[in-house]
Amino acid sequence: MTIAVLFITLFGCMLIGMPIAIALGLSSVTTILLFSNDSLASISLKLFEATSEHYTLLAIPFFILSSSFLSTGGVAKRLINFAVDTVGHIRGGLAMASVMACMLFAAVSGSSPATVAAIGTICIAGMVRSGYPQSFAAGVIANAGTLGILIPPSIVMLVYAAATEVSASRMFMAGFIPGLMMGLILMIAIYIVARVKGLPSQPFPGFKALAKSGLIALGGLMLIIIVLGSIYGGVASPTEAAAVAAVYGYFIAVMGYRDIGPMKGIPWQKSGENIISAAVRNVVQMIIAIPKSVSDPEVRKVLLDASKVSMMLLFIIANAMLFAHVLTTERIPHTIAEQIIAWGLPAWGFLIVVNILLLIAGNFMEPSAILLIMAPILFPIAMKLGIDPIHLGIIMVVNMEIGMLTPPVGLNLFVTAGITGQNMIWVIKACLPWLCLLLGFLMLITYVPQISLFLPEYIDQLNGY
Amino acid sequence: MVRNLITKLEEGFLSVLLVSMTLLVFAEVIARFGFNAGIHWAQEVTLLLAAWFVLFGASYGVKVGAHIGVDVFVKLLPQNTHRFITLVAVGLCLVYCGLFLYGSWIYLSKMKMIGIELEDLPIPKWIPMSILVIGFVLLIIRFLQLGWKVVTNQADGFHFADEAEESMEIAKGLKETVLGEDQPQKAAKEGDK
Amino acid sequence: ISAAPVEIKFSHVVAENTPKGQMAIKFKELVDERLAGKVEVKVFPNSQLFGDNKVLEAMLLGDVQMAAPSLSKFQKYTKTLQIFDLPFLFKDMAAVEKFQNGPEGQKLLNALQKKGLVGLGYLHNGMKQLSSSNPLKVPGDASGKKFRIMTSDVLQAQFEAVDAVPLKKPFSEVFTLLQTKAIDGQENTWSNIYSKKFFEVQPYITESNHGVLDYLVVTSAEFWMGLDNDLKVEVKKALAEAIKHGNTIAAQKALADKQKIIDSRRSEVLTLSDAERAQWVEAMKPVWKKFEDQIGADLIKAAEASNN
Ligand code: NA
Ligand code: NA
Repeated sequence: MTIAVLFITLFGCMLIGMPIAIALGLSSVTTILLFSNDSLASISLKLFEATSEHYTLLAIPFFILSSSFLSTGGVAKRLINFAVDTVGHIRGGLAMASVMACMLFAAVSGSSPATVAAIGTICIAGMVRSGYPQSFAAGVIANAGTLGILIPPSIVMLVYAAATEVSASRMFMAGFIPGLMMGLILMIAIYIVARVKGLPSQPFPGFKALAKSGLIALGGLMLIIIVLGSIYGGVASPTEAAAVAAVYGYFIAVMGYRDIGPMKGIPWQKSGENIISAAVRNVVQMIIAIPKSVSDPEVRKVLLDASKVSMMLLFIIANAMLFAHVLTTERIPHTIAEQIIAWGLPAWGFLIVVNILLLIAGNFMEPSAILLIMAPILFPIAMKLGIDPIHLGIIMVVNMEIGMLTPPVGLNLFVTAGITGQNMIWVIKACLPWLCLLLGFLMLITYVPQISLFLPEYIDQLNGY
Repeated sequence: MVRNLITKLEEGFLSVLLVSMTLLVFAEVIARFGFNAGIHWAQEVTLLLAAWFVLFGASYGVKVGAHIGVDVFVKLLPQNTHRFITLVAVGLCLVYCGLFLYGSWIYLSKMKMIGIELEDLPIPKWIPMSILVIGFVLLIIRFLQLGWKVVTNQADGFHFADEAEESMEIAKGLKETVLGEDQPQKAAKEGDK
Repeated sequence: ISAAPVEIKFSHVVAENTPKGQMAIKFKELVDERLAGKVEVKVFPNSQLFGDNKVLEAMLLGDVQMAAPSLSKFQKYTKTLQIFDLPFLFKDMAAVEKFQNGPEGQKLLNALQKKGLVGLGYLHNGMKQLSSSNPLKVPGDASGKKFRIMTSDVLQAQFEAVDAVPLKKPFSEVFTLLQTKAIDGQENTWSNIYSKKFFEVQPYITESNHGVLDYLVVTSAEFWMGLDNDLKVEVKKALAEAIKHGNTIAAQKALADKQKIIDSRRSEVLTLSDAERAQWVEAMKPVWKKFEDQIGADLIKAAEASNN
């Protein structure tokens, strides 16, 4: 009865188009008022606790901020140049470079649709010009763009960590190999197609050019080094690393790349300027740029965009914690788990059910919302069946990736349609072969837990735990 | 004019909250490694800023359509039915706000009566906690406004945030700069490190 | 006519297999057995209801009837309970017990009355030890090192007294911070060091016994006053028995966990000679003076006397 009321009000509220946060909160409050004697005051206390007692959650706004500083077209351009210089000379190289650029952009940004937009705009047009079919180019990018949430840092992983109290740093480590693997699988598939269809390659630019574009890209890529390095090299917790990343993101975007903000367009070295006077000029200008940033419209826009997304996510999370609270006090996952065990469903069978559930949910909802509703239910059941919490997390993330490519709600599909100017049916068809690849990859991730668990466990071993 | 000013204030306040949280945590890291010191009040203040950020921001989010929801189904309905359903949804949102406002008020009154201070700062606890009441009052105002817009046919839904649409801004910017001047290769020259 | 039983929600933040968890279960069993139909206890472990920072507020709102936060958590409700955080005040758990059961200790149970809370009894975790990434033999070894503390003015002063840097960090982040060496050390009881695996990431543990980590079982004054007198007596009796049960487990666990840590060889356990210990006492004792006004000089004297 309690289960029915909770879920019927939740889905009812969501179906009539209420904000997900409020649908979660309202269904929880209704259930509490009907079935327990908790007061509204203590429910409000619980909500306040959810917004003010979770230090680890703060990594979310900080990463969103750092990623909005670096999710600019300028950063995308630099990463693409580096990728083209690296793998462009292989057969099908431009497509491979696009995948690599997506992976690199994924590493600095947490957002999949942003990856598709930033890399796709340049690369799809570039590939078409070099003689690739447009549908091939679009399909590759839409798929590689989903890596944004699998390659760390990833907001979706932080949300999973928040919902299940699994360590965010371990999740980040666990996503690394699957992310690289997926990228590699895509590249191999591209190579095969390129051989069959006789797709072109680019001239190799030489090591000097490669080193130069690599160095330029490094400014943005340092972010992931800072984040993972500081978590594992012993400087900071994920929250602190995220704050450092946000500050770094500001400096690299405003002072380093100068794509946005008060130093936009100011060159590092003017023609004919000697190095010393250029250095002095740059230092002075950078110092002046810090106070100037406060009133700079572009910097303020980045801040506001990050604020909107972070606030929205944290508000959902706060309400989802009320929802999870109802789930635990009413022992709902426990009841479901006992039922499942009574049926004798094995772990592998349960994982099939998980995948199907998540794939269906992925058709209609955004990744964070799905995780916040599903994780508190699935997690305790998985624990009872002996599934590793990190492994479950990666399975969920890969499912979320696929959800971005399935209609009617598929963020990457929308963006791909937008940048190619094609209709949705065309985009879906273009993505389909690559989507099948991704489904195969999901199977691999689901039934070979070592892919996800190898790195976190190896790091533990290195430290001797 | 006034409306514009209020928007500016809301946006400014929200950004300031986010920036101060970030800088406070950053400062803690710097203090620990640069100066081998701690900032003993930093954590409590950061967390309270987070509460303000979320509870203050929720109403702004309703105003600018920054929340997310599932609107694929209601959008399939005829326009008048859609508007009617939206009104019901707004009504339920108001019920949610009302329940929490009532609960928050009791909670806050109790805290004020007992009169304990924050852990690390000599400030009565109820003062930072007042954002619970403030936040829900603001949220109610925003939902009433939205309801009025739906009644007067200026809106038919919640206007949810669309990550795809926002990402298209990056694409738009790129199309203007890069594809106008062609050749991604050129970009390398502008941005040296 | 039978009225609905009085409901006691017992909310705590640890697992069921800990001394506190066992104490709560024992309490529930005893009440179920003796006051069936009159009082019903529901235990919520693992912060299912509320975390330690919010549980007292929930209690004041009437939504939780019992909880057992650590004594340091009451800092903002009364200054006198800070006495339990003073370094080197008690030489061992026997002294702690003697003080708590004596007239002064029992009077302290009422220290929270003004804020609407009633103390019902003390529950042990044990004596605190110092763990660190470097061996701590004399106070100078701690100088400049970063130690995690719970939010407590006394504990802050205690580390500042040896020129160490106290950092307030949530318990949930301590392991990561120690593992990554973002902080150098922490203070805790044997059972916490073992259960939270701190010994795996801290090469040295100094058996300092420098302080005590105990809990206070509390209820709200409003709830307690509204309870029939005979029920009150029975509940208190059941609680006393449950606490005794919990304390026995805590004592056994402290010994067993210490042994497990030694056997693991992950961490070297250092003992202090009398001369070394005297140095620590000398360095940290000024903290007493600093908090004498807030706690009361007589109370400190009474506590000190329990060592004899
Ligand atoms: Na990412
Ligand atoms: Na989808």
